[in-house]
Amino acid sequence: MSDVFPRWTNRLPGQIIFGLLLIGGVVTAGLNYYFTPKYTRVGFQPTQPVPFSHSIHVKQLGLDCRYCHDGVEKSWYSNVPAADTCMNCHSAVRADDPKLEPVRASYKDANKPVEWVQIHKLPDYVYFNHSVHVNRGVSCVECHGRIDEMDEVRHEKQFSMTFCLDCHRELMPKKYIVKMDEHGKPEKLDLIAKQYGLTASALAELNGVSITNSLEVGQKVNITSGDPNKRLRPLDKITDLAYERSKDPANKDRNFVKEWHVKTSENCSACHR
Amino acid sequence: MNDNLILTNEQKSGPRYWRSLEHKADSPELRAFVEKEFPSGVDLIDDPVSRRNFMKIMSASFALAGLGVSGCRRPEHRILPFSKMPENYVHGSPQFFATAMPSRGSAIPLVAKSYDGRPVKVEGNAEFPGSNGGTDQYAQASILSLYDPDRGLNFKLAETEGKGDKKKKSLKVIAKAKVLEQLDGLANGTTHVLMEQSSSPSRARLVAGLKAKGVNFYEYEPIDFSVHAEAADIAFGPGVKPYYKLDEAKAILSLDCDFLGTEESAFQHIRDFADGRRVKDDHKENPAESMNRLYSVEGLLTLTGTNADHRLRIPTGSVIRVAALALAEALEGIGLDGAEDGISQLRAFAADLNTDFSKSHAVEGEAKADTAKWVRQCVEDLIRLAKRGDKTLVVAGYRQPKEVHLAAMAMNELLGNVGSTLLLQKANPSGNGTIADLKLRFNDGDNLVVLGGDPAYNAPADIEWAKLAEQAGRVIRQGYYIDQTAQGADAYIPAAHYLESWGDARTSDGTLVPVQPLIAPLFGGMTELEVLARIGGTESDPYKIVRKTFDGIAGSGDAKWEKFLHDGFLADSASAVESRGYDWDATRAAWEDGAKPVKVPGKGDYEVTFYRDHSMDDGRWCNNGWLLETPNPVTRIVWDNVLLMSYQTARELLGEEVAREELDFEELNKKSGGLPGRFGFKSDAGRFYQKVYKLEVNGKELEGPIWLLPGMADNVVGVALGYGRGLGRVGGVAGFNAYRARTSSGAHFAGGAKLTKKEPSATYEVACTQEQGIMDGRPVIREGNANDFVGHKDFVDHFDLDSTHHTTHIPKKGARYSWEKDQDEDLAASPYKKPFGGESNGPGKMDEERQQWGMVIDLGTCVGCDACVVACQSENNIPIVGKHQVAIGREMSWIRIDRYFSGDEHNPQVSYQGVACQHCEDAPCESVCPVNATVHDEEGLNLMAYNRCVGTRYCSNNCPYKVRRFNYYDYNRRPFGVEDGERKPGTFFNDDNDLNNSPLHPGNKSSNGEWELVRWYKDPSRGSVPGLDDGKKENGEFDPEWDLIKLSKNPDVTVRMRGVMEKCTYCVQRIQQGKIEQKVAARDTDNVKVPDGKIKTACEQVCPADAIAFGDISDKESEVYRLKRQNRNYSVLGFLDTRPRTTYLAKLRNPNVNMPDYYEIPNSVTEYNEKNHGNVFGGATPTHGEAKGHEKEAKH
Repeated sequence: MSDVFPRWTNRLPGQIIFGLLLIGGVVTAGLNYYFTPKYTRVGFQPTQPVPFSHSIHVKQLGLDCRYCHDGVEKSWYSNVPAADTCMNCHSAVRADDPKLEPVRASYKDANKPVEWVQIHKLPDYVYFNHSVHVNRGVSCVECHGRIDEMDEVRHEKQFSMTFCLDCHRELMPKKYIVKMDEHGKPEKLDLIAKQYGLTASALAELNGVSITNSLEVGQKVNITSGDPNKRLRPLDKITDLAYERSKDPANKDRNFVKEWHVKTSENCSACHR
Repeated sequence: MNDNLILTNEQKSGPRYWRSLEHKADSPELRAFVEKEFPSGVDLIDDPVSRRNFMKIMSASFALAGLGVSGCRRPEHRILPFSKMPENYVHGSPQFFATAMPSRGSAIPLVAKSYDGRPVKVEGNAEFPGSNGGTDQYAQASILSLYDPDRGLNFKLAETEGKGDKKKKSLKVIAKAKVLEQLDGLANGTTHVLMEQSSSPSRARLVAGLKAKGVNFYEYEPIDFSVHAEAADIAFGPGVKPYYKLDEAKAILSLDCDFLGTEESAFQHIRDFADGRRVKDDHKENPAESMNRLYSVEGLLTLTGTNADHRLRIPTGSVIRVAALALAEALEGIGLDGAEDGISQLRAFAADLNTDFSKSHAVEGEAKADTAKWVRQCVEDLIRLAKRGDKTLVVAGYRQPKEVHLAAMAMNELLGNVGSTLLLQKANPSGNGTIADLKLRFNDGDNLVVLGGDPAYNAPADIEWAKLAEQAGRVIRQGYYIDQTAQGADAYIPAAHYLESWGDARTSDGTLVPVQPLIAPLFGGMTELEVLARIGGTESDPYKIVRKTFDGIAGSGDAKWEKFLHDGFLADSASAVESRGYDWDATRAAWEDGAKPVKVPGKGDYEVTFYRDHSMDDGRWCNNGWLLETPNPVTRIVWDNVLLMSYQTARELLGEEVAREELDFEELNKKSGGLPGRFGFKSDAGRFYQKVYKLEVNGKELEGPIWLLPGMADNVVGVALGYGRGLGRVGGVAGFNAYRARTSSGAHFAGGAKLTKKEPSATYEVACTQEQGIMDGRPVIREGNANDFVGHKDFVDHFDLDSTHHTTHIPKKGARYSWEKDQDEDLAASPYKKPFGGESNGPGKMDEERQQWGMVIDLGTCVGCDACVVACQSENNIPIVGKHQVAIGREMSWIRIDRYFSGDEHNPQVSYQGVACQHCEDAPCESVCPVNATVHDEEGLNLMAYNRCVGTRYCSNNCPYKVRRFNYYDYNRRPFGVEDGERKPGTFFNDDNDLNNSPLHPGNKSSNGEWELVRWYKDPSRGSVPGLDDGKKENGEFDPEWDLIKLSKNPDVTVRMRGVMEKCTYCVQRIQQGKIEQKVAARDTDNVKVPDGKIKTACEQVCPADAIAFGDISDKESEVYRLKRQNRNYSVLGFLDTRPRTTYLAKLRNPNVNMPDYYEIPNSVTEYNEKNHGNVFGGATPTHGEAKGHEKEAKH
């Protein structure tokens, strides 16, 4: 009995396993890339029925976001303007521009709305609310990016659940319980700081202690993963998408989280009902 | 996030009658548009683009899109903004409009919430003088009737088919204008108009105009409350009606008056009754002094009877004898001059109550009840209070003849209640005839116009409606359904819902309220105002009609009108209160004339009592699934009416042998040492298959299942009206029609009835939500007597394992909850991790920087009316599941009312308790969920993340309160009444039909051979509506069911799918909205704390008794904080250490020591003491000592 199977079949199990691993890996990687909002949403830039340019209207003409999206401060929904909002100006400016024909048609006939393609959309089970964000110091730019620089609007950020939670978690004060190190001593302040990307002095300041202070096992230390204030800005700068707080001496060092008693929720009830 | 502006292409051509907010703005071009867009159905038939065709095209383009550039992206959605922005409109924020729901001679002032022009929820108008925002269950459910797919959708005319004997009339869809032509030339003496009662001044104005032209008007209500006014007119002279103010009454005697349940405006009475009964602060006040007391005499077991402190069960027809005796006692006790004669006459009329009703109240062992003493002591109590200067009240119910009402009025006069608890209001009788007058005056060939109601279904049997309708030259019918009356009509006009058209009404106290529409008529229906105006040839725009009437009442001027619409009522327009002398002679004459002694029913010679149903009313809500699935508060039966009888009656009827087999008493009685068992029929694995009996009464025959209701008067059979109307895919087969056996003379009760078993014997399944009727010694509801309270303020702590006597590991009450922060160390002993607060706050501590939500339910004021159940259903998109699913325990209601009997099987005491998710701080459900789908948040809410739930149901198994509900089927997506693609009314979700098909189910007849998965893929938003979803019915009529179901949903709450668990969320959407509103207002300040009372859960908001309080338990100023520190506060199953956020205030009863049925301690407490060797209130043989001494001191 010999050579029932040719010799090359000896390698077959290994090849199969390798092949499966390879395919599995590719599939996993593919799913991870192609089936996540990072791929499916970011960069979405459909052609709109009217080639409206945010860049011209906001950057050149200086229109405020809320001139058109006037529901953003009152409702969960930030509305697309009705045709009459456009016609406030365009009945005089570029009144005959063929590009504006759909707007004029809509203005004349209520049954012919301009069919804008929706770009930013959350799933139905997410109850996001615009008003509570823009009224409490979160700018449009945090989620929508620099719309003021776009000619055609593009989906800029992921809008995945992590995307929301990243901010919500940042604003939650976190506590760290000091553990024992391998020598049976409490962990050092600078080691804890390193874990959370902070400097030892910043952590000491956050907790109102000096750097040299020795901590106790079981002691609770305030930690934050970054600056909880960096997402917040003064309310008069909400729609100023170019605003940078670090360059604003009056507001640079203000602690809005504390001043305004900002409390985010990272629980399900924040967005799901 | 249900944004109607964002529509997919497919949706755009889908629902044809979609109304945007613009339609509500009543501009002429929109009017024109509406007329064009919604013709009376004719156009729809010829519409070439059917949904079916569109689906074909769409599925092709869908496939292309999938292969195109967008790859895995979501399907493209469009945003369709307005042409011109409506004023004051912000998409996404709800709008609120004041309106009112008319009901018979009254109306309920409401505020309706509207999203994008579609009403989704109604609430009581809290601005209305005296209102607390509460409503009844009917008002809450009325919104579902707006979206009822079985409403009359089209204008129709009858066509005659066949010849000679085979001639048959059937209604055919015709253009609106053609149908309205039928109304021409009716303004003369040969026209007879039959209407429902109404308080609308506009209708009165139009009717007056038509009467001048000779038109005859009649009113008919199968359940008629006008006997109250009739009696007042005799006693106090014509032109008055009584208005009861229960809040000021210290004691109330009800003579078969179910003012908490089925009387007119019961929700107002509940509010007032609760106000008089509430113990506001039990640290300071003595409940024996502050609580009111309720005596009830009745034949059925009603909400009023179950909430009474003393109850006498007397057959409905014999209540008049009790009334006579009570009046005699009152006359004697007060001492009216020259009344001796009358007193002896009354006593003679009452005759020997003790012999006839030997079991009329609870007694010890074999002793006989002393009915005469009961009445004497009751009246003495009233007189004692009256002499002390307190107000009392005697009320008689609508079922009773006017003599009983006169007796009640006379007693009120004697007790000095007229002008305080009994107000006489000026009344304007309509002057319209009755249905009997119609029969009398109707000539062959006259024209008959029927507005509302359904006389063919509910007219008394002796009227013989069918004959009457045949005599008529022309029958024109305006009604909400194609019902029995419509089927015999020549022309049919669909009625508009009250939220669809303009109207006006007066509330029970006469205040003028607007009936303001929130949406244009979905199917072009008309109100009776429009029909009357058309007949008269006057202005027929309902807005202008109502405006003209208003101008006539309040004076013209837009400002007044706008304020009227804004406030929802016209201030100071209530009927004037009159003060009148009492007419003793007229009363006496009426008594001598009308009072007839009634035969005492006996075995085989039963008395039938017909009653207004808690769900169906008189049948007007016949197709309303929310009401059908709301259990009757006393019987807990859904979807049916039954033949109710007492324990004794059932046993005699069945015979000793059968009774032992079928009733749940005998064996259990032995086991439980004399205490009764389940109080009802034995169930077969939780399901009740009841014997069907034939009931002969008034010369007619009814057939229905029998049901035992302990506490009813013996030999009385209770039958609910309003069932068996036989229309609608939801309620089509619910119950039997009791109107068939109802005559003008025996409208409310009739003697001489016989019950015989149906041959061959048959059983009928009855779905009942509560199999176990007793607490069996478990202190789920804790009760005490008011006069014991001062001596036993901490009595709630002496029950169960959480009593200090039983356990050591649970600290005493002072620290049982985490909100009592002083003894946190003890709490650390709990085996559960504290889910909220996190590390920063330590175990068992709350996150102090956030608000902590909690609830208190006051069992002392809750009367068990079920309004909260329907409000919750409306607010939270809770589906109905059908009788079959309820019968196997799958009802979905998030809040339920538990009803428990205690004491003996003839005269039990009844207690109610609303149970929703308790939001335990140590929630047992959370620790067993394998996927973290149910978790806690920082504010103490126990959350359900539907997307995470995989349906293991472990949480439900581990929940000690049994409040979690599981979606066994796709209840929200599949309609009722369809089987194998055909309409079959009364087809419910069950294992035998195709309503439970999964998406992988291969195609069958109902899905036109397509796989469910394919259907779902083509249109995920449509659901799997079997078969009939293509927008057409076989006979060419548009079937809007699926779109209507979607319209009725609250966009703030997720619509749950099959396979997920759900439960009460404390209305998390309202909490979030409240917080968001506060934060938006706070802007860059730190004023983010939501003030107490701003967030109201749906059940709290609707509760007419204000028995539910919700708020921040960490806020020392809040109402819940205060209530949680009342002595009576306890948590159910507290010994499990679940630390529920919902706690209860113990119920206090207020019995009178001198009554023959006085009970030293409530029966449930006796039960507890006996089964658990407890000694609450001094144990099984109580010694009252101090408490009683105090009571006596206080009394004298």
